[in-house]
Amino acid sequence: MFKHLFKLIWNKRKQNFLFLSEILISFLVTFAVFSYLTYYYQNYSRPLGFDYNRVWSITYDNGQLPKNQDSLSTFYDNLNKSLKAMPQIEATAFSSNNYPYSDSFMSTGLTQNGKKFNYVSNFIVGADYQKVWQVKLLEGRWFLPEDVVTKDKGVIINETLKDQMFGKGKATGKFIGDFDDKNKLKVIGVVQDIKSNGDFSPIGNSIFIRLDTGYLKWTGTLLLKVRETADATFESKLYKFMATSTHGAVEIKHVDEMRDSRNEVTIIPMVIFIIIASFLIINVALGLFGVLWYNINKRKGEIGLRRAIGASGNLVSYQLVLESIILATISLIVGCFFAVQFPLLNVYNVPSSVYLIAMLLSVLFIYLLVFACSLYPGKQAAAIHPAIALHEE
Amino acid sequence: MFKNYFKIAIAVLKRRKFFTFISLFGISFTLTILMVSTAFMDKVLSPDYPDYKRERSLYITGIEIRNSKEGWMNSSNLSMYFLNHYVSTLKNVQKMGISSSAKPSNAYVNNKKLVIEYKYTNADYWNVLEYKFLEGKPFSQKEIDNAELIAVISKQTKEAYFGDEKSVVGKYISADNINYRVIGVVENVSKTLQNLSGDMYLPYTIAKENHNNTDVMGSYNAVLLAKSTADVPKMKMEFDQMMKKVPIPKDFDKIYCNADPFFTTVTRRLGGNSTDGAVTKVVSLVTGFVLLFLLLPTINLVNINITRIMERSSEIGVRKAFGASSKTLVYQFIVENMILTLLGGFIGLILSLLIIYLINGANLVSNMHLSMNFTVLFYSLLACLFFGLISGVYPAWRMSKLNVVKALKA
Repeated sequence: MFKHLFKLIWNKRKQNFLFLSEILISFLVTFAVFSYLTYYYQNYSRPLGFDYNRVWSITYDNGQLPKNQDSLSTFYDNLNKSLKAMPQIEATAFSSNNYPYSDSFMSTGLTQNGKKFNYVSNFIVGADYQKVWQVKLLEGRWFLPEDVVTKDKGVIINETLKDQMFGKGKATGKFIGDFDDKNKLKVIGVVQDIKSNGDFSPIGNSIFIRLDTGYLKWTGTLLLKVRETADATFESKLYKFMATSTHGAVEIKHVDEMRDSRNEVTIIPMVIFIIIASFLIINVALGLFGVLWYNINKRKGEIGLRRAIGASGNLVSYQLVLESIILATISLIVGCFFAVQFPLLNVYNVPSSVYLIAMLLSVLFIYLLVFACSLYPGKQAAAIHPAIALHEE
Repeated sequence: MFKNYFKIAIAVLKRRKFFTFISLFGISFTLTILMVSTAFMDKVLSPDYPDYKRERSLYITGIEIRNSKEGWMNSSNLSMYFLNHYVSTLKNVQKMGISSSAKPSNAYVNNKKLVIEYKYTNADYWNVLEYKFLEGKPFSQKEIDNAELIAVISKQTKEAYFGDEKSVVGKYISADNINYRVIGVVENVSKTLQNLSGDMYLPYTIAKENHNNTDVMGSYNAVLLAKSTADVPKMKMEFDQMMKKVPIPKDFDKIYCNADPFFTTVTRRLGGNSTDGAVTKVVSLVTGFVLLFLLLPTINLVNINITRIMERSSEIGVRKAFGASSKTLVYQFIVENMILTLLGGFIGLILSLLIIYLINGANLVSNMHLSMNFTVLFYSLLACLFFGLISGVYPAWRMSKLNVVKALKA
């Protein structure tokens, strides 16, 4: 049976060539779409790791603040006290400007047993950072006031980095080297991964370092966890307070709104991409349907003859559907050859599982498409009456 | 002759409605996407409000210093010192418009928050760029020297802050706890013009920064205007000469700064770096992407066209038997396909107008207003003809090869 079908396909190789190339390209398009979607779905399905509700960020211009380190420290202490005295504020923390959803990235390098880890997100955070974001600790503890005086600089790392550095074992109490392995940092805790760059962003390595007095002059970001009573009136009061204290430009942002706009950056291109891809697919489906339909109409004589010598209608439509499926298989084999290069060559630094899932999905999708497009023409062929078909001949 | 082809084409289209639908669907959809992207590119690339003198201008957006041994790199916008001390001495620069990159700040009106992006500018900024003043006027050198607290605001800010008051010149707007006197209101600028769009424009002398700083890095961008288009290459050369003399900051050994024509600023941002403008790279990438996108609909159309031709084999057989040459037949078929494509293009045009209307309504990019102008229409027509040609040639060639006897027998 298969041998016979191959012979039929081979006899019409010129006509089938275009059909094959169309399926091949559709496969590559669907592969691209599914890789894209799988990648974002995998990221989306991971837990967020923190709570963004009722968190406000204040960015301020630090150019007018005292230059002297001691008076700057006093200034920040006073500011912190006045803010905490406001009944609407639950917790406050100063931070480097790469807080979640800020679209700003700061990285550092780390070494562990001679192995270098580059592009580790470097969050420089105030003492109450955990209270503001409700980050979950997996082991160890968060920064304590007495950490300032201890000999070793304490750091907190995230789960992904811990798994890469220490595997399944505990990390608390162990030492890691900084970017050129000259200074040692002591791990005092491990936190759950946080998706700091939007719901669809991948999780990278990150490290949390305590914001010390030396860094104060670089700080320009204050994070607040507010209570439910904080409304617009309070916000404008807070704004006036900050602007008078810092003598500079101040901006207050609500982190939940920033999250929406961060997600939009991913979602809008995704929607445009899906719309374009689905129109292309509809286009191809209609085209395939048309070509198959026409081909079958042209083969009326052959089909009539088969019916006349005893083939049932089902067998005839089975043959036609199978022929299309075999054609699709040939294209898919070529397509998979190209597609498999992506995980092999590790293009774009995306996990291989994304490409493999996408390949599987697109193979299934193309089979479904070809099957659906050949079903109706096959049915029609089965309905051909041998007497009429042969009469025309 | 042509009239006959047209009649035949219409007759063929009417014969198999399903195939006609498939072809038109594919063509119009493909062209819609091309048209909308052309409209977007046109918006970004062609001279647009308030930047009409692009032919005569060069843009400086950033400076980069490097330590090539250690691999350090530091890049940012420029300082006022750099622009005033070095760039303004160039002979070919007729005028220089300077503005800081937009910074957001908040204002509160009736307990509603308003985000105001403000920019500091110099006096010539208003001469280089042609902002449309709905009321009032720009600030002058004298007001800048006096460091007066005055502001030019955009129409959008006016409406958000003052509501539907008729005239707001002379009124005060409070941002960052400072009251600025409004002296002018300008038409909104599209957010696609990153370096020019803002909600509030202030004299640069009231910026809270150290004016005696001799650093080359700061927060300003500049537009250099030459006397004529012919002077632009001279101005660029002079600028590059000047850059060789700029002292390199301590700890670094290389300094890069480019005065680019507008198109290069876009390609440099997309795919280049401080040493590579990446014009060819970006153009070839975009072309490659468009061709790749066209591939699928083209193959689909070729497939359908071949099917339709085979259906017409008896007609072709008869024509051939009566002496029509292959060339005539190929020509006829390509014309027919062009007619089909143009018809699809027309539907595509209507769809694009609809999509552009929707995009403008949704205000996806703040203040961006896409439009169908003659440039866009011209490129769309070009795209139609190109698409029609490439999808028609192969089927026509296949048809001309048809054997007369076989064709007539079917």
